[in-house]
Amino acid sequence: MMKAQTPRSVTRTLAPTPFHDRLAELNFLNSWRGWNGFLSAEVFECSEKEYFAIRNQATLMDISPMCKYRICGPDATRIVNRLIVRDIRKVKVGRVAYAMWCDEEGMTIDDGTIFRLGEDEYLLLCAKHMYLWLHECAWGFDAAITDETEALCALSLQGPTAFSVLKAAGLEGAASMKPFDTREIEPGLRISRTGYTGDLGYELFTAPENAHSLWDRLWSAGRQWGICPTGMEALNLARLETGFLAPGVDFQPVHLALRRGRGRTPFELGFGRLVDFDKGHFNGRRALLEHKARGPRYHLVRLDIEGKEPAANAYVYHNGSKVVGHVTSAAWSPTAKRNIAFAELEAPYGGAVRDGLFAEIFIYKEGAWLKRNKKAKVVDEPFYRNARARQTPPNAF
Amino acid sequence: MAGEGSKFDVVIIGAGHNGLAAAATLGKKGKRVLVLERSGAIGGLATSYEISDGLPISRHAHLAYNLNPTVIAELGLSGKLSMRPLATIMLSDDARHVEIDGETIRFADGSAHPDGEAYKEIRNRIKKFAGLLAPLALRSPPDPGGGLSLAGAGEAMPLAALALKLRLMGKKDMRDFLRIVLSNIYDLALDDLPDGPLAGNLAADAVWGAWAGPRSPGTVFSLMYRYGCGGAPLLPQGGMGAVAGAFAAAARQAGAEIRTGVSARRVLIANDAVTGIETDKGEKISAGAVMSSAGAVQSMMLAGAEHFDVEAVRRIRNVRSKGMTAKVNILLKRAPDIPGLSKEQMAGRLIAAPTAIYVERAFTQAKYGEMPAAPIIEAVIPTLADGGDRHAVSAIVHYIPRNLKGGWDDAARARLTGLTIDTLARYWPDLRDNVERVDAFSPADIENETAAPGGHWHHAELSIDQLLTVRPVNQLSRYAFAVRGFYLCGASAHPGGDVSGAAGRNSALQLLNDGVLA
Repeated sequence: MMKAQTPRSVTRTLAPTPFHDRLAELNFLNSWRGWNGFLSAEVFECSEKEYFAIRNQATLMDISPMCKYRICGPDATRIVNRLIVRDIRKVKVGRVAYAMWCDEEGMTIDDGTIFRLGEDEYLLLCAKHMYLWLHECAWGFDAAITDETEALCALSLQGPTAFSVLKAAGLEGAASMKPFDTREIEPGLRISRTGYTGDLGYELFTAPENAHSLWDRLWSAGRQWGICPTGMEALNLARLETGFLAPGVDFQPVHLALRRGRGRTPFELGFGRLVDFDKGHFNGRRALLEHKARGPRYHLVRLDIEGKEPAANAYVYHNGSKVVGHVTSAAWSPTAKRNIAFAELEAPYGGAVRDGLFAEIFIYKEGAWLKRNKKAKVVDEPFYRNARARQTPPNAF
Repeated sequence: MAGEGSKFDVVIIGAGHNGLAAAATLGKKGKRVLVLERSGAIGGLATSYEISDGLPISRHAHLAYNLNPTVIAELGLSGKLSMRPLATIMLSDDARHVEIDGETIRFADGSAHPDGEAYKEIRNRIKKFAGLLAPLALRSPPDPGGGLSLAGAGEAMPLAALALKLRLMGKKDMRDFLRIVLSNIYDLALDDLPDGPLAGNLAADAVWGAWAGPRSPGTVFSLMYRYGCGGAPLLPQGGMGAVAGAFAAAARQAGAEIRTGVSARRVLIANDAVTGIETDKGEKISAGAVMSSAGAVQSMMLAGAEHFDVEAVRRIRNVRSKGMTAKVNILLKRAPDIPGLSKEQMAGRLIAAPTAIYVERAFTQAKYGEMPAAPIIEAVIPTLADGGDRHAVSAIVHYIPRNLKGGWDDAARARLTGLTIDTLARYWPDLRDNVERVDAFSPADIENETAAPGGHWHHAELSIDQLLTVRPVNQLSRYAFAVRGFYLCGASAHPGGDVSGAAGRNSALQLLNDGVLA
């Protein structure tokens, strides 16, 4: 059954991760931000350089602050299926699944990835703290839920030469791994072919005492493959290009909302295809059935906006007069060469009505604000997609 | 008896009076109903047994004071029931007992009580407010998610009518209602009364069955609840089993089948809808709907927690139902003799709660899991009215905690027996030598025998946070219990406990109204 974990001492400042010594040596700008209470690099030297390394070389990023929970026990599969909207039974052992989970009203609590480590063993990775929620989900079921956020540190190795780095580091066994595969490639070292960049990439998990040796191993193997540390700023651009949502940015995680009506369903976030109504009851199922029948209230869409000025925080208008939504994330995409954004629009805009949309962009130029109304086009495909990211075995670059 | 695979419209779990009220209501509408009762006897908390040959006595509950007149009329119970109103005697250890008989308040020797008028003023005010609230008991709680639609407005009608009636009472009464409705009975009583038997009466009548003391907020409301049908205590002839028997007769008359000694192992569910139940003997009985008069947690677990949203499970498992009430039946060797009381007075409702602070002190000990030094007791000697020469006392002993420190065992039960006799003997010294046999039922025994959660006689504390739209919990207050076709029909649902029949009857009407069986 569920066991309470021993309380740990409280850190009063942002906590260094197990990789911090290595990161600090490389962080020329000394630019950090908080991420779940940990120190996380915003930029090391130059975010453009780091972004282009994601798309052209290999990058290492410390993702240890990700929340990690192990769900293990005879009822683990039932608990996971009760939590998430998709059917975890269709995910084989050794595979990783993207998942969303909802409250009783069908509003998205968070999204994340679930590693199926065994028939009855899962590792859940997500952005927000879920320890209590998982215990709520598990009431009446038999499984142990442990918070492994600090028991496992993690590096994300991303970029077209990511596999070459692994190979040079003696981990060529990863060659046969397909996207979303995971395995314990060496005792105490788990690897998955996953990432948040849309490029070829892997994530590696190990115990904190092995952090330095793992970093050094990948770092020295990566030198000939252009390895570069990356911070959150570069990652944010890469994830936007490839169409990954950022919780708290592109949607409001409902548990962190105080106001009613700020939650969004997976349908409204564009992930209705994940919702599996045939798998039996899961949290929010009845509410989601009603939402599906009624249709979405909002559409979170990708916008291709004319011009090159990022439409951060812009209102979206229909036919120049009516505000129908707002931009949640925006950037100039250096790879797609397009001015891209995520925007949340009130239905039917972004759904049945997709023409006549404009973004109202404010640009600060030499002491003055300029306003530009730019045409915005709803696009269905991610702005960036690369076949090499899915090729197995991967090419050298 | 119908065999394997037999088809019913509705299977009802538990033949307590609420389950039976639901069965009778549905049967009258032409539905084929099966009631399953895990114990050998029907009635739940309202059963009788023979304490001695030919001497029936109520096993748990012993008085009916909230039996809903609409339920009685709808189910045609009046011809099946014989009940006698009782005067209330507030026992006093100086034999200056106080008699409360409707509008007559006096000492037992017939002399006037100086505080009688002040007591009546408080009681009648609470009764008046109780009358305003009473219609709510016969409707499903309004749907808070219904919004401002026309249908939603219809749902809110009883509340709107209540608001209107409050307004029509005039500003003074409305203010008074709003001032006292959430307050505590201790302060209200002692504002206008010295602490004594009359304040003790209000305090005790506000807390029977409750995990609350007279100083707990909301106890004025619980007194209003008790006065919902006038508040007159009625003694059923033959004990409470006769009341349940009347409900059972109405159910059978309406075509319902009742099977005892069979319990539900689980509710069968397919595609998020009830398909029937499986009994403890493994028999599967298909049905379009299943109603449960068990507590909220037990009902949830019969269906399986996986069919409930996580938030619902959290709410349901946090429903407060800590039993505080024990039952002690005492077979007497000879006719009772209580100093200061006539034989007629001895046949009344005898209450050991000499002051309001006495009641509060008993709660203070009990809430920490201790047996109180002096519990409050409501005793009746039903045999006195029948004119026989054998007598027995039926005593509700309150502030006996279910979660007693050290747990419930034979020794604890012996302490309960001793405590009950000691407490009654303060007013009735002769009792000690008059005891032939004692049957003591601790809250744990009551829980084991009736499956009432925590042995709580309301199945869930009747407090303002567990009433109306939040009974048993937020979002599940309209009897439908998460899975399509699964309904709560017992005391854990609105309007709550007491032998009123309203929960079962309302639930049945809601089921019919929801179109589940169509």
